[in-house]
Amino acid sequence: MAVSLQEKYELLGCIQCGRCTAGCPVSMRTYLNVRRVVYDGMTGVGPTDAKGRPEAWNCTTCSNCTERCPKGVKPMELIIGLRSAAIEKGRIEPTIRDALESTFKHGNPWGRIRDKRTEWADELSVPVAAEGEAVPFLFYVGCTPAYDPRAQSIAKALVALFAAAGVEYSTLGTDESCCGNEIRRMGEDGLFEMLVEGNRELFGGHEVGTIVTASPHCMNTFKNEYGEPTPDVVHYSQLLASLLEAGKLTFKGKVEKKVTFHDACFLGKHNGIYDEPREVLEQIPGVTFEEMDRSRERALCCEGGGGRMWLEATEERGERLAETRVKDAVELGADYLVTACPFCLMTLEDAVKTSGNEGKIEIIDLAELAAMAL
Amino acid sequence: MNEILVLAEHRGGELRDVTFEMLGKAGALAGASGGAVTALLLGAGVRDMASRLTSYADEVLVVDHGNLTDFNSAVYQPVIAEVVKSREPSLVMVGHTAFGVDLAPSLAVALGLPLASDCIDVVLDGGAVSVTRQIYGGKVDARLSFRDSATALVTVRAAAFPVEDGARSGSVTELDTPVSDEPAFRRFVQYVEAAIGDVDITKSDVIIAVGRGIKEEENLALVEELAGLLGGVVGCSRPVVDAGWLPKDRQVGSSGKTVKPKLYVAIGISGQFQHMSGMKAAETIVAINKDPKAPIFSEADYGIVGDLFKIVPALKEKIAEARA
Amino acid sequence: MNIVVCVKQVPETAEADLKIAAGGKGIVEEGLALQINESDNYALEEALLITEEHDGDITIMTLGHESSEEVLRMSMAKGAGTAVRVADPAFDGGDAIATATALAAALKDVEYDLVLTGCMASDDGATQVGVALAELLDIPHATYVTEVEVGSGEVTVGRELEGGLIEKLTIKLPCVLGIQTGINEPRYASIMGIARASKREIELKSAGDMGLDASSVGAAGSGTVLEELTFPPVGEGADILEGTPSEASGKLADILKEKGFV
Ligand SMILES: Cc1cc2nc3c(=O)[nH]c(=O)nc-3n(C[C@@H](O)[C@H](O)[C@H](O)COP(=O)(O)OP(=O)(O)OC[C@H]3O[C@@H](n4cnc5c(N)ncnc54)[C@H](O)[C@@H]3O)c2cc1C
Ligand SMILES: Cc1cc2nc3c(=O)[nH]c(=O)nc-3n(C[C@H](O)[C@H](O)[C@H](O)COP(=O)(O)OP(=O)(O)OC[C@H]3O[C@@H](n4cnc5c(N)ncnc54)[C@H](O)[C@@H]3O)c2cc1C
Ligand code: SF4
Ligand code: SF4
Repeated sequence: MAVSLQEKYELLGCIQCGRCTAGCPVSMRTYLNVRRVVYDGMTGVGPTDAKGRPEAWNCTTCSNCTERCPKGVKPMELIIGLRSAAIEKGRIEPTIRDALESTFKHGNPWGRIRDKRTEWADELSVPVAAEGEAVPFLFYVGCTPAYDPRAQSIAKALVALFAAAGVEYSTLGTDESCCGNEIRRMGEDGLFEMLVEGNRELFGGHEVGTIVTASPHCMNTFKNEYGEPTPDVVHYSQLLASLLEAGKLTFKGKVEKKVTFHDACFLGKHNGIYDEPREVLEQIPGVTFEEMDRSRERALCCEGGGGRMWLEATEERGERLAETRVKDAVELGADYLVTACPFCLMTLEDAVKTSGNEGKIEIIDLAELAAMAL
Repeated sequence: MNEILVLAEHRGGELRDVTFEMLGKAGALAGASGGAVTALLLGAGVRDMASRLTSYADEVLVVDHGNLTDFNSAVYQPVIAEVVKSREPSLVMVGHTAFGVDLAPSLAVALGLPLASDCIDVVLDGGAVSVTRQIYGGKVDARLSFRDSATALVTVRAAAFPVEDGARSGSVTELDTPVSDEPAFRRFVQYVEAAIGDVDITKSDVIIAVGRGIKEEENLALVEELAGLLGGVVGCSRPVVDAGWLPKDRQVGSSGKTVKPKLYVAIGISGQFQHMSGMKAAETIVAINKDPKAPIFSEADYGIVGDLFKIVPALKEKIAEARA
Repeated sequence: MNIVVCVKQVPETAEADLKIAAGGKGIVEEGLALQINESDNYALEEALLITEEHDGDITIMTLGHESSEEVLRMSMAKGAGTAVRVADPAFDGGDAIATATALAAALKDVEYDLVLTGCMASDDGATQVGVALAELLDIPHATYVTEVEVGSGEVTVGRELEGGLIEKLTIKLPCVLGIQTGINEPRYASIMGIARASKREIELKSAGDMGLDASSVGAAGSGTVLEELTFPPVGEGADILEGTPSEASGKLADILKEKGFV
């Protein structure tokens, strides 16, 4: 007999205070009710997998609920567990299925073949480590910046910044595989383990010292979920901040724009990285930086995490959080809404269109903005 | 080469184009080798059709029988097998159609004939037949020959050959080959027309068609906007329908709609023949695909090689500019 | 209702730059991802749906090299009870009918009410194996099937004809159906499920085991002979508009304007 949800996720501590739901950004606009999910799990009623509880797929794994719970319950992990149970039965949305199958076959969730993983670098000279070659400093590109035409410009901008700062780095070329951050959050534990094993072997084979990632999602899983020993992992905003401080990176150009910053959940809430991106922003000549009201720990989620890049929320009501976010930035009068995450970049850019704000604001990644000032 | 036997295909009282395409090719092969072209027509009350075929064949063999009204491979196959056995033609051509693929493999097994399917070319090389067929979704051509056999069987891709005016004046021969009753093990019930929804793509002058390259349902908005700009409708390849992103009545191709718009823009469609057979007749075909080797480019008038997510937005801008 | 599903492992080639191997009779498969043939995945799902409703066991069968066991394990993870790999160097290089001959022999000692195949393999695209198999087993068939309804002792199927027309037929069991894509929504096989399945046995059947004479299968038993592979002339008709996305789009917009579409 399988372990009950209550035992597996230690739900007995829950006092049904509802703080989790109150802090859940998705509950504002879908019928996901985290407290209720915990209650059902605790009392053993209700569906035991996300097939019977489709709203479990609405969760963006922003981790607000877990952070806010006064009793140390982990509602987010319970939700991921419900997804895992649906995955074990094979009954999941086709888009999630395709993303998972693609990750298994090609090492990326975007349905693209491995051979094309370095396409973004075709016209650049980006060093690729030879087999077995030691890589003291690894630029881990990640699936989205490698394949997505919009996000590719993050990877390109970073390469330009590295060159300007004289950073010696290498990439893994087409050997690079998905980090698994989203895969784990979609609930595909077996595939996640397979990726962890493969990547650890790959990093080990290249004696990787430090990894810099383009995406906070990759950083998160490498840092927090890969176990020991793993290389040091930093997000590129941390690297840029330290390069600026050391005087290795200097901006010769100017970007005369008013900007504001959107904290990505996996950079901020999950990993406490709030200052470094702001430090970079403030050193870009010409930039006027202003905070939005909901920033740092209180930042609104863009709904791009937790597998939501591959799934629309069920029974949505009200406007998307990314639309709210864009409106906040427009109200502030910002020219650029800056983020430091490929998923945020994509969801926010989409929201600019759907909220009718085209021409009023642009979404830009911190790396792109920094590269503009080189 | 002595005789080339072509199986005439018809549905709903009409001879289908593939029949004339095959007869044209058979005529060319016969002309080069001194053989004869024979059409084999099975059906009920098909004498009119038979006389239409006489200008394409030296002889039209007809088996006219009430049990042959609707195609049923279980009834057709023994009759055709009987005719092939008694005449021993060098080559038998069957359309690579829903009808042909249900029939030809079992005919080949029953008679022990070699079968090459979905051929886009048939050539005679010193008396020996060889064929070209496409593999890997049209990315590679394979040439096959036949191991010694008095008769070779091929199925021929629709629209692989042009329809030309017939210049023969064949005779009609009625055969009294026995025809069995429809067997209990395979009974025809009915034909069902696929329902037409609110958009009839066959009526539009401009079709913007998308394929699997669009990646996700949300991205459809991009092509809908382009269609809006050009006053057209959105069509698609089969995988887009399989994924449930667009209804079946938007599917272009052999199992979807055949369209003849003035402008057909294929975006992220590789151009496999089942798709191309439905849109080849468009006046102007534009293809946008990031694979320079995609077969669609061989059918297109204009092509752009590149990422559709970069090209379509750029194209929308340029069209707006061109209009202004 | 016991069902046999015949599946083929094929390389994924839609996006790949293919190379023809030395000798000109095959492509370079290195670096291509392998997967279950698309329509076979739908056939497997159809079998799962049918057995969920009408009970029965599923036997999954492939003719192929060792790598194709991955497809069998994936199918077992989804619910197939038995897996068979028809494996013998003698089967190499066979055409569709030779392949069907080997599969028919492998089916001799299997109890089944229904055999499902895909309608077409996405690599070689013969569109033959299912129908040939039925003739070899001397049972009825239908291919391009997009609807299956199980009755008693028979199935009613919809066959997809050109132009979106559906032909409805009733067919006595046992029979072979060639399943077309889109008939259902295939489920997912979790990696954990596949890992569990990999502990299960896969039955191997060689030509000798099935009493097949090596000359009746594989290249020797094939009526067709692959002579050579070539790349088709590409972009023959198309005037390729060069330049950056914006330049190429500009050229296209001009052409469309000239032709009166803008
Ligand atoms: C080295 C080599 C040489 C070849 N030489 C020739 C040749 O000389 N002549 C020639 O015609 N072809 C040749 N082929 C291709 C041949 O092997 C095809 O695979 C065969 O013709 C079967 O056709 P298909 O795969 O296109 O099946 P289709 O008829 O398109 O497949 C329909 C369905 O049958 C089932 N099926 C097909 N293959 C298998 C399988 N292996 N196991 C289980 N189920 C299956 C699947 O359900 C599939 O969806 C060669 C291939 C190789 C690798
Ligand atoms: C009996 C039968 C009937 C069929 N009937 C039909 C039918 O009626 N209609 C039909 O369409 N199909 C039909 N098919 C299916 C057909 O064989 C093909 O599978 C289908 O047409 C392929 O669709 P596609 O071109 O969209 O996908 P794919 O072949 O997967 O091609 C996708 C293309 O998109 C390109 N691409 C990917 N990403 C991008 C990007 N970012 N930018 C630009 N290009 C990109 C790729 O290079 C590729 O060429 C039938 C099949 C069978 C067996
Ligand atoms: S915040 Fe914690 S204790 Fe409160 S309802 Fe949610 S899970 Fe229970
Ligand atoms: S992780 Fe975030 S989105 Fe998911 S349930 Fe918790 S608060 Fe809601």
